Amino acid sequence: MKTKLLVACFGLALLAGAWWPGPARAATSGPVTDPLGVIRIPKGAPIVIGGYWVLSGPDTALGLDEKRAVEVAIHDIGGNLLGHPIEFQAEDDQCDAEGGQTAATKLASIPNMVIVLGPACSSAATPAAPILWQAGIVDIGTACTAPSLTAPDRKATYDGFVRTVFSDNDQGAFDAHYIYDVLKLKTAVAVHDGSPYAEQLAHVFAGAFTQLGGKVLSIEAVSPTEVDMHPVLTRIASEKPDVIYMPIFVAASAQILRQAKEIPGLQHALIYGGASLMAPDMIEAAGPAVVGFHIGYPDVSPTSMGKTYPKLVSEYTKMFGEAPISGFHANAYDGATLAFKAIAAVAKTDSAGSLYIGRKALRDAVFATTFDGTSGPIACDQYGECAKFKGAVFEYTNADPKTFKIGVNPKKIWP
Amino acid sequence: MSAGPLAIPSVAARRGAARMSAVSLALWTVRFLVVALVVAGTIGTILKDRYTTAQWFEFVLFGLTIGSLYAQVALGYTMVYGVLRLINFAHGDIMMCGAFAGYFVATPLENSGFLEVHPVLGMAAILAAGMVVSGVIAVLTERIAYRPFRRVQGFAPLICAFGVSFFLEQTFRGLFGSSVKSYPAPKWEGVEFHWAGLSVPGVDLLVIVLAVAFMAVLYLIVQKTRMGMAMRAVSEDGEAAALMGVDVGKVIVFTFALGGAMAGIAGVFYAFLFKQVYFYMGFTPGIKAFGGAVLGGIGSVPGAMLGGFFLGLVESVGPSLFLDGIGIKAPYELRDVIAYTLMILVLVFRPQGILGEHMAKKRA
Repeated sequence: MKTKLLVACFGLALLAGAWWPGPARAATSGPVTDPLGVIRIPKGAPIVIGGYWVLSGPDTALGLDEKRAVEVAIHDIGGNLLGHPIEFQAEDDQCDAEGGQTAATKLASIPNMVIVLGPACSSAATPAAPILWQAGIVDIGTACTAPSLTAPDRKATYDGFVRTVFSDNDQGAFDAHYIYDVLKLKTAVAVHDGSPYAEQLAHVFAGAFTQLGGKVLSIEAVSPTEVDMHPVLTRIASEKPDVIYMPIFVAASAQILRQAKEIPGLQHALIYGGASLMAPDMIEAAGPAVVGFHIGYPDVSPTSMGKTYPKLVSEYTKMFGEAPISGFHANAYDGATLAFKAIAAVAKTDSAGSLYIGRKALRDAVFATTFDGTSGPIACDQYGECAKFKGAVFEYTNADPKTFKIGVNPKKIWP
Repeated sequence: MSAGPLAIPSVAARRGAARMSAVSLALWTVRFLVVALVVAGTIGTILKDRYTTAQWFEFVLFGLTIGSLYAQVALGYTMVYGVLRLINFAHGDIMMCGAFAGYFVATPLENSGFLEVHPVLGMAAILAAGMVVSGVIAVLTERIAYRPFRRVQGFAPLICAFGVSFFLEQTFRGLFGSSVKSYPAPKWEGVEFHWAGLSVPGVDLLVIVLAVAFMAVLYLIVQKTRMGMAMRAVSEDGEAAALMGVDVGKVIVFTFALGGAMAGIAGVFYAFLFKQVYFYMGFTPGIKAFGGAVLGGIGSVPGAMLGGFFLGLVESVGPSLFLDGIGIKAPYELRDVIAYTLMILVLVFRPQGILGEHMAKKRA
């Protein structure tokens, strides 16, 4: 009888656990009361800001570029905010779901983590943002563009996620317009690698291309680590497409570029890539096959960016001894600026010099903050989309990785 | 009162028989379903007539090319398993070491123009570098990591192999960075042969022919030399071989060196075909080659070769042949699924692998 009672109690406890929305974290600390808790930073202690990007492997340039931009932003405000030094802790998410989950768990476990910047990859952001928000931490995405992250029907677990980069809903429509209306190519095969970014962008493109009057012959999928693309390319060749649209990452894209030249029927098909391929590693990995390769990308020419963009590039070059190595540094810089402005807007200091930040208040401040950023105007909608898209098409013109410079190699060819 | 001594086994046997028949039924259902899927898919694909003869030929050629590489790596798995009963999961990374060594020789040779002017000498130097580095690293892993576990039963040696794999990957990442390095592409490798409307890339032909030649040499070493005989003796029964005067330690070192050299050759060919070298490149082909070795009958040298080619062919031809016909939209997304499903199917029919029975009979 006693055992049965224990089992029943245990079962009830489990059921209660499943239903219970979690412990109320409402707290009052110093002058601040907040429903999600309050961060208290003693006088002289650092404001801890986290970050996670792809910092190893073939897509390193994509993430490292953004991490550097955040370091420039911290440098630009003198390394201090509201009299506290900024401590910046960055993690490598390896541009995949497991890496994102690990990085977010690690960042969420750091006491007094105020806000997190990144990632570059939607694959990492998809599992990471809910983990961070579960801990009451706002995550500002800096290059993760999958539409689902800021879609109107996104789950409540993404309430703490915003991004200072555009949605691929706009990128896909832009690419379809360029290929169909400008290049007058009528048939396409889309290739994705199963990642949220690539899969969603491939489908957005397919929808937009079909709507314009083009024909999508098929949507193929490859593994991100696949090296032998000959069979799938032979299959694509049997459909005789005018264009292969492949918004995937460096390693697999480089294999497709190289091997497509060897497949009868594909030598003249246009291969068109996505924003993840703006990197010197792409030239290194693809070799001579990179010449003539088109990618759809945000227009990062100085005339299309915010007024402060040239200053960012100059500062970046001074700090790291080279020009920006990928294309989302301005978005990351704006993400950091958004974080600083929101913290400054809600933080309160008591008479002892301690700083108090309400977590819910910080989230609301991030959504409410607007400014003219280095990438353009920043103003978040209710689903966390804070940036506007302005697209361009770039073409690689040289196979020497040392010649990589956005706007030169690859050079902007449209508009 | 207790049941008679015969009553208990007979009840157990009856229950066992009932359980076995249920398991057998389930296995036969799985076999039937997979075979039905394969047949239906093949018929559907043939009726669709989507691919030309030249394209089918290309599927087969690409399958043979990648299969020849899997076969070479699978040989290392199977030989080490034969003499040590150890699954050396670091073997794919040994291949990566050879690819890196080849890269560091090939790049200056290409930049100086030597590889263009003297392709045979250049390739020989690149292959030699790959073989030596992979062979030496394989021997070092045996000496430093595996030898202390030689008499250890259980999972410790296997876990050690995982450790060696991570160690090699992270060492190369630390030494040479995590970015993808581009392998040189000499102009002569772009040569294509045309025959009866079919085109054969020269580099694929070169890789298949050289891989088969190297495997034939390895087979002759195992079958015709004293050391090969010692390897086979150790593989059959290590203790009996030691009692007969075979230096088991020497045989094991030789096996690692031979398997490592073969992996080095595979690494160079792999890099030549796919043009990318990076620290993690050995993982996937290593797993596939292990699958090939199991498929062929782990411990069997011809089995490893056959298993590697089989896996390569199924990967290349399978999605188009079996999945197109049943309306799967992106069949190459399921490339690994179909390869491993067919592998499991073969193992369900022949648990000892394709050529495993021959070995078992010999041992018996």
